[in-house]
Amino acid sequence: MEVAELQDKIYAFCLAAKGKKKLKEKDIIKGVSAELSLEPDEVKKAMRAMIDVGRLMYSYGGGASSVEIPSEEYLREKGLIK
Amino acid sequence: MKKYNTPLIDELEKGPWPSFVTEMKKAAKTNEMSNDALGHLEKCYSTKIGYWKHGGIVGVLGYGGGVIGRYSEIGEEFPGVAHFHTVRLNQPSGFFYTSKALREICDIWDKYGSGLTNVHGSTGDLVLLGTKTDALEAIFAEYSSRGWDLGSSGSALRTPSCCVGPGRCEWTNYDTLGLTYALTQEFQDEMHRPTFSYKFKIKSSGCACDCVAALARADMSIIGTWKGDIKIDQAEVKNYAKTMDINKEIVNMCPTQCMDYDGKELKINNKECSRCMHCITRMTKALKPSGERGATICIGSKAPIVVGSLLSWVIIPFIKVEPPYTELKDLIRKIWDWWDENAKPRERIGEVIEMKGMRSFLEAIGVKPMPQQIKEPRKDPFMFYTEDDIAAYKAKEAEEKKTGKYRF
Amino acid sequence: MALPQRKTDIGPPHYEQFLPPVIKKNYGKWKYHEVINNGSMVHVAESGDKLWTVRVASPRLLSTATIREHCDIADKYCDGFFRYTTRNNVEFLVSDEKKLEPLKKDLSARGFKMGGIGKCITNVVHTQGWVHCHSACTDASGLVKSMMDELYDYFEKKTLPNKVRLAVACCVNMCGAVHCSDIAVVAVHTQVPNINHENFKNMCELPTVIGSCPTRAISPDPAKKSIKINSEKCMYCGNCFTVCPPISIKNPERDGVAIVVGGKINSLRTNPKFSKLVIPYISNEPPRWPKAVAAIKHIVEVYAANARKHERIGEWIERIGWERFFSLTGIDFTFQSIDDFTFMRDTMRTASTFKW
Ligand code: HEM
Ligand code: HEM
Ligand code: HEM
Ligand code: HEM
Ligand code: SF4
Ligand code: SF4
Ligand code: SF4
Ligand code: SF4
Repeated sequence: MEVAELQDKIYAFCLAAKGKKKLKEKDIIKGVSAELSLEPDEVKKAMRAMIDVGRLMYSYGGGASSVEIPSEEYLREKGLIK
Repeated sequence: MKKYNTPLIDELEKGPWPSFVTEMKKAAKTNEMSNDALGHLEKCYSTKIGYWKHGGIVGVLGYGGGVIGRYSEIGEEFPGVAHFHTVRLNQPSGFFYTSKALREICDIWDKYGSGLTNVHGSTGDLVLLGTKTDALEAIFAEYSSRGWDLGSSGSALRTPSCCVGPGRCEWTNYDTLGLTYALTQEFQDEMHRPTFSYKFKIKSSGCACDCVAALARADMSIIGTWKGDIKIDQAEVKNYAKTMDINKEIVNMCPTQCMDYDGKELKINNKECSRCMHCITRMTKALKPSGERGATICIGSKAPIVVGSLLSWVIIPFIKVEPPYTELKDLIRKIWDWWDENAKPRERIGEVIEMKGMRSFLEAIGVKPMPQQIKEPRKDPFMFYTEDDIAAYKAKEAEEKKTGKYRF
Repeated sequence: MALPQRKTDIGPPHYEQFLPPVIKKNYGKWKYHEVINNGSMVHVAESGDKLWTVRVASPRLLSTATIREHCDIADKYCDGFFRYTTRNNVEFLVSDEKKLEPLKKDLSARGFKMGGIGKCITNVVHTQGWVHCHSACTDASGLVKSMMDELYDYFEKKTLPNKVRLAVACCVNMCGAVHCSDIAVVAVHTQVPNINHENFKNMCELPTVIGSCPTRAISPDPAKKSIKINSEKCMYCGNCFTVCPPISIKNPERDGVAIVVGGKINSLRTNPKFSKLVIPYISNEPPRWPKAVAAIKHIVEVYAANARKHERIGEWIERIGWERFFSLTGIDFTFQSIDDFTFMRDTMRTASTFKW
């Protein structure tokens, strides 16, 4: 699968959980790799690349870290949108 | 700049001990954020309540830790601390610095932050206390381009730290600084991109004195020890005898009662010494460990949340700690794999071991049961047997029938 | 103004560049050390080289101005090299004995306080408190300052049977290492939290909140789409508040501090020990916490008068027995000191051997 396509799937996976469940890296890697029958490492790499450019972000709450879709505010603050 | 009246915290400028309020005031002279921090703190003192909100989601692009978000509930009253995030800079092993390096750190911090720090925070990081969200990327660029990286926070490997060890201590059994540097470099990804269920801390002390309190505050505590004899310099023993009652202070306080002193010569039955360090620390000129050096690996300590505090448990009584530390690095990876598979969210490794059983953990990381791991054997008879266990006991008995000798 | 190019995952700078030459030369080859007085010690290497250390107190919360002053001193006497300690002290290192006295003189002239080495009281491990944490029931820095002003002589010149390690944690999360200290202060809440049901719905995950409670005091309240807390089971740990901001637990008149004693982290003579609760509650009294400070000083003094040489507080108490500790200190024994959480079976006595 093309990386861009995989990243769209990862994004959709996160979108589906938004507001319902805080996803850890592990949840995304496991969930997406099972869904698409891919190697976990491949999913991890694609996801990390998304985090590096701000398409996804690390979040933190109640003592534990998670991965989510960035808010507009975050993107603006990082200069990724105007 | 607004001038706050701070009668309550002014009280804390009196007295001989150095005052953090004085420090805040020093910073407040030129820094609006610190000035508001003073007013904010005075308000806490007057109402006896804190006004910080839970940490928010702040950080630098790509990293999931190293910055602790902090906002005030009363930011309108104290705009300088409406955002007051902490930046954790990864400290050099052993907290050694040059004035040049620290001045550079201060210059950058004065430019972007409150001018307040913790040297150091309890995790070991050099903590830069109080900055705004929009300064974070610039702060990271300034520091990282000069060789300073962020430390860690969140569900990640926390910034490893260690005692001063070979830098200035005769008792160390391995290179704590070297190990800590090597592990920090090896696990950069695990530090900066939180992938665990909860935090994981590694702390390294060179001997049983445990100057970084590794045993109490690290999920993995690496405590130096040795296997050989304690070497005795009898001439120095004589010197100590002039100022110290060796029988009372050393021999009688030896927990294993393996020492003997007849007023002339000190003897140690090394086979029975448990390497507690008491005698060595009291007679450092006369006594010295010798032979094989290494460390004890203990796992699991944590604070009381949620089901009571733990001290780390001995897992590996003795392991060599020598560069490039391959055995240790592999062990750490195995430990994480098992933890990762078994932990629920926010479960420290010590808690998971309690839930799943020590056996499951030890088998997963390939460690045999050893009497050094326990204080005493179990007291209840409610043990599990696998089919393999029984087969092994039976095989042993079959062997005994052949040889005619029992092996218990 | 253009920013420099950032780098990721470079880790900390290598420590070697920060080691003074005498340490580089004698790295791992130290022979012995001698404590000269509470403020200084000398390490001697196998090569015969000597390294003097002067230890100086710091409030941990430091302004860049003070760090620069540390730098100036290091430049003047230590070729620019110095270090900090785990317990928040500063250490100036000199390899030339001639520089030692001038260094000390300069430090005193500038108002820096030297001490904390050997069998005495050194700096306090502590947490953020009101200065920077959401969870704080008290202020850690203020308590530390108040304690150390009162115990200052034990830092600067007096000695004790052994070290007394102090710590302050500003809530039961105990970020600051209270559980194994000789004497520590833990700030506590004493009331069941209030729940803002309206915000709960939007801000909190039900299973996470239920799971956060160590005593299973929390159950769902389907009518309100929120939770309820069983007041018989709640022991005010605040963990639910940590995972869910609309649960509030702070209460200025009820929050207070508890005092625990007898912990130890090293393995010398006896195994490491947890600290144990002896004074369950003292009201929060900023800015000086007079009663908490008096209690700590009192315990230190009783220990100093009664312990044998080399005994840490925990070892002394184990020898004399807890009933003797309570009678010597005159501290009231209360229900709070009997464990009704996880450790009851290990902490009750099972023999009829007492002191009266
Ligand atoms: C539910 C449990 C916990 C919560 C919610 C919590 C929360 C926090 C927060 C918010 C801070 C940052 C304070 C600030 O600078 O604003 C902090 C700092 C820290 N925490 Fe925790 N913590 C918890 C448990 C622990 C435990 C169990 C340990 C250690 C075993 C620990 C060790 C630390 C350390 C070392 C710091 C740095 C403190 C300092 O330098 O002052 N925490 N914690
Ligand atoms: C689930 C746990 C246990 C079960 C099912 C169990 C069952 C039994 C049974 C069936 C007997 C034989 C009674 C008789 O016919 O005379 C017995 C005897 C006994 N059990 Fe247990 N027991 C259990 C736990 C314990 C424990 C934990 C202890 C001690 C700490 C204990 C101590 C004894 C003693 C002292 C006897 C008497 C032995 C004798 O002198 O005949 N049992 N138990
Ligand atoms: C489930 C747990 C237990 C069971 C089923 C059990 C059962 C028994 C039985 C059947 C007897 C023999 C009574 C007789 O003489 O006819 C006995 C005796 C006794 N049990 Fe237990 N017991 C249990 C736990 C304990 C425990 C925990 C203790 C002590 C800590 C204990 C101490 C004794 C003693 C001292 C005797 C008298 C032994 C003697 O004859 O000298 N038992 N128990
Ligand atoms: C039973 C629980 C604990 C005990 C007995 C304990 C004990 C200690 C001791 C004795 C120290 C002082 C070390 C020194 O000499 O510098 C210490 C430091 C510290 N502890 Fe704990 N601790 C416990 C739990 C925790 C927890 C839960 C956290 C954090 C969540 C924590 C975080 C720290 C930190 C950050 C330091 C300071 C380390 C430094 O200054 O580098 N401790 N602890
Ligand atoms: S832990 Fe041991 S080796 Fe390390 S500094 Fe302390 S006494 Fe020295
Ligand atoms: S190290 Fe401890 S056990 Fe060994 S001889 Fe010395 S005092 Fe005894
Ligand atoms: S002990 Fe509690 S209040 Fe203090 S810094 Fe840690 S979490 Fe915050
Ligand atoms: S304060 Fe602690 S014990 Fe009370 S309900 Fe909340 S989590 Fe449970």
